[in-house]
Amino acid sequence: MQKWKKMLAIIGIIGVLAAGAVVLYVYLKPHRDVAKEKAVQLTAQALFDAFKTNETEANAKYLDKAIELNGEVADITKNQEGRTVVNFKTNDPLFVINCTFKEDPGVLQPGQTITFKGICTGYIPDMNIVINEGVLVK
Amino acid sequence: MKFVYVFLTGILLLGTQAEAQKVFGTRNGKISFISPTDEDVKATNNEVASRLADNGQITFSALIKGFKFRYAEMQEHFNDQYLESNKFPRADFKGNIVNLKDVNFTKDGTYKVTVKGDLTMHGVTKNLTANGTIEIKGGKPVASCKFVILMKDFNVDASSITEKVNVEVNCAFQ
Repeated sequence: MQKWKKMLAIIGIIGVLAAGAVVLYVYLKPHRDVAKEKAVQLTAQALFDAFKTNETEANAKYLDKAIELNGEVADITKNQEGRTVVNFKTNDPLFVINCTFKEDPGVLQPGQTITFKGICTGYIPDMNIVINEGVLVK
Repeated sequence: MKFVYVFLTGILLLGTQAEAQKVFGTRNGKISFISPTDEDVKATNNEVASRLADNGQITFSALIKGFKFRYAEMQEHFNDQYLESNKFPRADFKGNIVNLKDVNFTKDGTYKVTVKGDLTMHGVTKNLTANGTIEIKGGKPVASCKFVILMKDFNVDASSITEKVNVEVNCAFQ
């Protein structure tokens, strides 16, 4: 009888620990840190061309990937939560690559050429390509 | 002769009207949603592309991968299991302000609006009507509205998590 009770207690404890581990896994799993990831390097223009030519193919290649983008800054704005957003120029005056910084990149100027590293979330025809969670490389 | 005159005036009027149409836009509007049954199930997208024309046309596009959750694990499930964002990367809304005559785009103020249109998400297009406001401030509009999305309407099987989400849109136009 004693032994049986002991067994049950041990099984109970293991169960609680396992459940706890699952909960911890869900709640504590960290978000991606793009700064530590190896990125695909390309220019703002090349990224735009890829999506404009074949959206499906470009999605397969770049969606959710770390991208290191080099290009000329069209303008610098803030999003509605106060994060810095840089729009990169393309050869279409109405189309930009919209890049949101995770941290404040410091002072940037329109016309400046910079390299930005972030995660590509996709393409919105006639408007922009979105890259977010980004950092300034140089 | 009189006919020609009327005709020309008509063309001129049409011309000025076409020119007078104004389109406001933003690439960084905000859409967030929350489950009414589990407040951990919430996410925000700050890269909503939207256009609003003073003829009442309104469009919104949000990339599914742009929705940020507090918990990375939930974000992953949302993308891979529920919304299948590799297959359906974007949600698009195209609609019109039903009561356009109640809105004066040239006068500052807050106007109640009803918007009706089609929302395409997860490969499904559904008609949607939402109530909201357009606030004109310094000549620039801010559009906001709230509506409910039933997951099963868009073929999303998330019944173990939530049956529906409350969606909030807030776009400050340039």
